[in-house]
Amino acid sequence: MNADQDKASLFVKRLLQNPSLKNLTPLLREEQILQFLFVNSRQLHATLSSASFFPGMNWEQISGLLTQALHNEVDNQLMPEIEGLIRDGLDFSFIQFLREQALSQDKVKEKFYSFVASIHEHREARRELSGAYNAAKFHFVDRYIDEAFDRNEYVHFELTKVQRLKMGKEHIKNYIAVSLFLKPAILLLTAPNRQSSGTGGNGTLQLQFIEKAVAVIKEKLAFLPEQVIRSGLFANGSFQEHRSMDATSRIAAVLSGLCKNYRPNMEIDRGADTAEKSWLNVARRNYKFYGYDVKLLDEFYKIAAENGW
Amino acid sequence: MRNRTKSVLESIVIAAILLVLAQTFLEDFAVLIGWSWNIRKILLFTGFFFDLFFTGEFLARLYTSVYNGRSARYFFAERGWVDLLASIPLLLLSSGPAVLALLTGGAAVFALGGMLNVLKVVKAVRIARILRLLRVLKLFKQIKYTNSIMAQRHVAKITAMTVSLFVMLLFGGSLVVSMLGLPSVDQVIADRHSQTVERIVSEMPAESREARNWLAEMTDSSDLLLVKRDGTTLFSRFDNRYYTELFGPSDYQYIPREGYDFFFDMRTLGAIQSKDNLIFFVIIVVFVLFLLIYYSPHFALTVTDPIQVMRKGIEDDSYNLEVRIPGRYEDDDVYRLADAYNRVFLPMKDRSRGTTEARSSLLDFDDVKGLLDGE
Repeated sequence: MNADQDKASLFVKRLLQNPSLKNLTPLLREEQILQFLFVNSRQLHATLSSASFFPGMNWEQISGLLTQALHNEVDNQLMPEIEGLIRDGLDFSFIQFLREQALSQDKVKEKFYSFVASIHEHREARRELSGAYNAAKFHFVDRYIDEAFDRNEYVHFELTKVQRLKMGKEHIKNYIAVSLFLKPAILLLTAPNRQSSGTGGNGTLQLQFIEKAVAVIKEKLAFLPEQVIRSGLFANGSFQEHRSMDATSRIAAVLSGLCKNYRPNMEIDRGADTAEKSWLNVARRNYKFYGYDVKLLDEFYKIAAENGW
Repeated sequence: MRNRTKSVLESIVIAAILLVLAQTFLEDFAVLIGWSWNIRKILLFTGFFFDLFFTGEFLARLYTSVYNGRSARYFFAERGWVDLLASIPLLLLSSGPAVLALLTGGAAVFALGGMLNVLKVVKAVRIARILRLLRVLKLFKQIKYTNSIMAQRHVAKITAMTVSLFVMLLFGGSLVVSMLGLPSVDQVIADRHSQTVERIVSEMPAESREARNWLAEMTDSSDLLLVKRDGTTLFSRFDNRYYTELFGPSDYQYIPREGYDFFFDMRTLGAIQSKDNLIFFVIIVVFVLFLLIYYSPHFALTVTDPIQVMRKGIEDDSYNLEVRIPGRYEDDDVYRLADAYNRVFLPMKDRSRGTTEARSSLLDFDDVKGLLDGE
């Protein structure tokens, strides 16, 4: 590591420790710092190109150094956590209900982690991984699916009767959690700027594109049944355009959106609704725009409201 | 450094206000339950010290405001008038004369009595004491019970108006009763004492021994404490030690008549006055607490909290919490606005965030200035 990288690393470390970012997850902190660098590029360049920092460098070079240092710092903290979430938190035995396969949990987890790590290395995809990471770390799947099964209403019906998942609740929860981690994989196939990749401007992708992505990804993830890969990747599509979308995809789409900007220990202002309830209610009003399943949102909203989430 | 000094001074003022409220309560409570004169004397001197302190505070604030060219703002908007009413009049009409009388053995008050007469001075002292209740407002303005400046100003204004009106009505009413000579407890007691004096002077036997017996019988149920004729004590209800321990200068009335010196017990009147003062004190404290504990949060809940949530939602790209709308207030103007904010603005903002990446950051350039300078 050369002197410039050391300086960039030190600078980024201190930015990450800023109290304004205290309650954010590592990926959100990374995003905030990237936005900070973007918004203040002119002022920062004036200072950071001085003799004390990176003399003679233009902003692209400085920004590149800082971004790389930032990714390294965040990876150092995040990757062991993601590895732990996959190794200790996920159970892939639900695969046996989808196809007959001799399964070595450890091997599957190792391969799956390698794949998620490759997603994480992709500049755009790592941002989307935030939803899966937060959902797994803060037990969103457990909370909402447990409640949905207790209620035995729309979500339960869609999972067990429409999608016909003949497996227990815990397996279904793992199915959804894996789908959540797979959702950003589609970005591995897109150019860095999603807008140019057939999106409708709302983050959803066209079905033909998703089908192509499934074909590519299933080659890489041969250890996973195709329906699991489809469940993850179709979470990027619109339910309005694809009414037969799996319930696990629809749930992964909603939970990914809900968790993407989740801030643990967020202080709720007096007079404001909780973060989850607020997000779900806004999503209910924008369901057509984002391609969400509104009935699913309704049920999750009721769950959040009843539980004070 | 300057801010720190200001903060220390404000803390001292808050402590003084809390202490003076306790002192105000205790001074009347002591009279009501008949605490010894020594304790009441300490409370009286303490009251004088506080009046002096608040007069100094008022003058310092007034000087600073005049110096900074904002005297009108201080006096009216920042309730300098409360500072004035709760300081100088009390020092001049209440604790000042009382302490002066104590220190000079009553000579100064009697000298002033040449202009006003002693009874009126005593009345003015008692009436002015009501103004102490205004100090509750001084405490009120120091409490930061909500983040909203609007809520603070609104609730403080209601409190100031109501408490001031209550105190002024009491003060004005007492003054009118006093000036017009309308029947009052003071007058009833004063008349009764005059009648007792007249009767003693006209009916008491001349011979000392008979006079003593006669006095003992006729004063059985009156306020008469002591009768002297030409320096000789004819009657004393209590021994000297009792008088020394329990009586202060304002606890008895002295009436000289035709070679006699009459001393009457005024503690009953003092107790009546103190009871009234305590009732007023408790009413005001309960009222202010009610405003603080019930009305202030209610105002915040139904007006300023939803406004603050909406303001944050409009100003901050990443803030997307909805306003919580309580069912029973959903028809209020504020909540109808909040409903529109929830239904229309937030979804629209969310859609616009979906299409154009948010480009504001929680980090501010000023946050990292030290970082940039420090390298």
